Amino acid sequence: MSPLTILLLVEASAIGLILFGAPPKKVSMAAAAVNFLLSLWLYVQFPAGLGGYQFVESHNWIALSGLPDIRYHVGVDGLSLPLVLLTTLVTLAAVWVAPAQIKRAAEFYSYLLLLSLGALGAFVSLDLFFFYAFHEFALIPTFLLIGIWGTENRQFVSIQLTLYLGLGSLVLLAGIIALLGALPAGARTFDIPRLTEYLRENPLPPNQQLLPFALLAAGFGTLVSLFPFHSWAPFGYASAPASAAMLHAGVLKKFGLYGLLRVAMPLLPGGAEAWKPWILALLLGNILFIGFSTIAQKELPAMLGFSSVMHMGYLFLGLACWNVLGISGVVFLMVAHGLSAALLFAVAGEVRERAGEIRFSELGGLARRMPFVAVAFLVGSFASVGVPGLANFPGELLIFFGSWRSQPLFTAVVVWGIVISAVYQLRAVRSVFYGDLPQHLIQANDVEGSGRIPYMLLMAALLILGIWPGTLLGVVGSGVRGFLSLY
Amino acid sequence: MHEGLWMIAAPEVILVAGGVFLLLAESLAKLESKAVGVLVLAVHLIAGLCLLPFITTRAVIWDGLYTWDRFAVSGKAFFLVVGMLVTYLSLEGEAKVPAARAEFYILPLFCTAGMALLCSVRDFVLLFVALELVTVTLFVLVAYRRSDPASLEAGAKYLIVGGLATAFLVMGIAYIFGATGSTQFDAVAGFAESEGVGPVLLFGLAFLLVGLGFKAAAVPFHIWAPDVYQGAPTPITAYLSVGSKAAGFVVLLRVFLLPFWNTDFQRHWVPLVALLAALSVVLGNLAALPQRNIKRLLGYSSISHAGFLLIGVASHSFLGFASVLYYLMAYLAATFTAFLVLVLLEREKGGETIADLSGLAQRSPLLAWSMALAMVSLAGIPPLMGFFGKLLVFLAAWESGLHFLVIVGVAAAAAGIYYYVMVVRAMFWSDPVHQGPIAVHPATRGLLLALNVGSILFGFYVKPILALAAGAVVGSGG
Repeated sequence: MSPLTILLLVEASAIGLILFGAPPKKVSMAAAAVNFLLSLWLYVQFPAGLGGYQFVESHNWIALSGLPDIRYHVGVDGLSLPLVLLTTLVTLAAVWVAPAQIKRAAEFYSYLLLLSLGALGAFVSLDLFFFYAFHEFALIPTFLLIGIWGTENRQFVSIQLTLYLGLGSLVLLAGIIALLGALPAGARTFDIPRLTEYLRENPLPPNQQLLPFALLAAGFGTLVSLFPFHSWAPFGYASAPASAAMLHAGVLKKFGLYGLLRVAMPLLPGGAEAWKPWILALLLGNILFIGFSTIAQKELPAMLGFSSVMHMGYLFLGLACWNVLGISGVVFLMVAHGLSAALLFAVAGEVRERAGEIRFSELGGLARRMPFVAVAFLVGSFASVGVPGLANFPGELLIFFGSWRSQPLFTAVVVWGIVISAVYQLRAVRSVFYGDLPQHLIQANDVEGSGRIPYMLLMAALLILGIWPGTLLGVVGSGVRGFLSLY
Repeated sequence: MHEGLWMIAAPEVILVAGGVFLLLAESLAKLESKAVGVLVLAVHLIAGLCLLPFITTRAVIWDGLYTWDRFAVSGKAFFLVVGMLVTYLSLEGEAKVPAARAEFYILPLFCTAGMALLCSVRDFVLLFVALELVTVTLFVLVAYRRSDPASLEAGAKYLIVGGLATAFLVMGIAYIFGATGSTQFDAVAGFAESEGVGPVLLFGLAFLLVGLGFKAAAVPFHIWAPDVYQGAPTPITAYLSVGSKAAGFVVLLRVFLLPFWNTDFQRHWVPLVALLAALSVVLGNLAALPQRNIKRLLGYSSISHAGFLLIGVASHSFLGFASVLYYLMAYLAATFTAFLVLVLLEREKGGETIADLSGLAQRSPLLAWSMALAMVSLAGIPPLMGFFGKLLVFLAAWESGLHFLVIVGVAAAAAGIYYYVMVVRAMFWSDPVHQGPIAVHPATRGLLLALNVGSILFGFYVKPILALAAGAVVGSGG
């Protein structure tokens, strides 16, 4: 049995234990910790020099004449392994920061684990059926997490988010069906490596790639909040409970990018080439339009939601340039953004919880009452802006280098997005943590004791990757080179 | 191929004989109606046991009227399960049918017999008889709550529209007979193969489609469905929703799955079915959006599922037909779960609106989760059976070049998520309207768990169910 299957089984059995009455928080934390250590071990063991998929397990699942065969096929390479590690780390942090005394705790922790299970399953699956099913299945816990434990507008927001993501997933499904339908009957399979191999040798004629790619890009794009399919994201994250926002914005949302990287672009390069101007135009919307919208936000969680939509623009930019630098940058930045978004959403949760206030105009001076939280927010903010020494910087740099080669002028424009993000992020730091401490925040207190560990874990990861990007780039680079040499 | 192996028709004979016997016994001796319900379950079970020795048999009896193959066996097993579930629902929901007399349990036996017979028809005359046995029984059952105007209205509507559909069916059969000189499927298909599908035969087949479209509640023959679903006693609504619909599709496959239909026929047939499918998925899903009554909502939802099933039929391929059978099984599990929950809620004096489900998660997590899984499966979200059914149907349609139909289906399915999610929302985070926990009998608890587990398990471990469906399709190939 592949260790990747064990990762999935650990979370599934933890859910089972919770349903049978085991203490929810303890069990979830144990499972998340086991998975984190296991995936760290896999990461260390991963033979970066070899390239190709490792820890593979493959069984026939269903074969029927006329139905493309479905396999249970898991494995990771330099592109997916970092995402697996990201998932287990953010899961551990998300479960840790969640309050133990939350209402309907057993349900809450089961849904968190289900969400994480959906993301893990999607990242390790090498079969389109399981890849798709794992991700869409995570819609249900997301819906319930926001709907039951969300704040403010949760009723409306949870339904809006579910409909958007449901529609995105279905368009994606149509794209997968269209892709398989374009192949000759003998070559149809849900197996990603076999599809890749077949299409490398017998690419589809360019005009047949247009429709499948458009459907896949629209589907995956909606899931990653590509402008203008983004409106589910900001308020969804704003009203989600902190742990759910961490897992969704930090991890699950990356599924759409990973899908473009793993499925849409390599299998349909002609389609990608043809639609590239559109993708560039839309990502400009992400970076500039959403960037300015972020500046206009008046509440902390909504601002973070918008900012996480904006950052997707850079990831699309890296994908669009499709060279070793750009793709390495995308994988690196996916991990870095996952960590920084998780950190920021966790801090926003603490602020909401401890200060009872999220409006910038009513906040201020909290650094005096909550120095640790302020440091965490500062680190997250600097990372998110792209300050050197933190993880996002190498990722963004790689993407800009990569994209400079293919479209210098365009790159010169979008680089200014960095300034936009510096404006809103530093303004948030100032108005929440500095300035005068309003009277009603006097009693806010800091995170203490072991509650600090999840923040330290996330901050440590951001720092390690920022100071020593080689730890990740070695693995990513080997995956990307092996991957791109195929085309 | 056996001739004269008349005993294979035992399931139908046992169902009808059991029904007649119980009716007589009930009129002579005063029987406890609950006891009759249990006896009815037993009759179903005995009829089911009669299938076992003949699972792999192939036979044609009664001068080619009645055929026996894997398709027939699987279909009969399906309808016997439906019959038993309906009986169980009636037993659980007895309080809601004030005049509940034993015949409320006995009549479904005839209906099940008709449906079982439909799986074996190989002649339009027997097809008509079997279909009318189903429909006439349902006329009575739909209007069973005589004191309730809604139930009476439902009965009247079902009677009138059903009568019209029957007229079309008879007219269609007459046209087919006129064009080909035979009522046997093989002879008709053979005629079409050698002589081509002329306008008269095509007319006849189109009229036949009208009659079957009524059974399946496909647009534009769906008008009766929402009112009748709402007005009928809930177990009977479940019967209509699964049994009647499946009956329509079983006949559709029986008639049109014969391998001899020529391309000429397909050229006329596929666009027609595709049109009905597109209309059904769009109208069913859009009209369900504003519904507040759950039975009515499920009525519209069932129209949309008729559309998804028709997409599979329109594909006119092996995969398409197998996907229809898989989809029907997914639909059975989800729909009966939903109606079983509704029956239990009705017994608690709750209403039938979405608001009445509010806070169900606090009152009974089992019921809330069962209902939620049913909704999620109907919405087509993995890893439930409903998702794989939709995937199969879409794959088959795309492979047959019906790209437009897949896009329409996907858009409609996305709209559908909304109303299913509204039901889940009410159960999980609205405040309860009615108070107090709901007691669920251990047997019902077990049944709900079995339906849930089946829905999830066979949603990703699809092999056994798909093998069953594929075997049935292969088995029916002449």
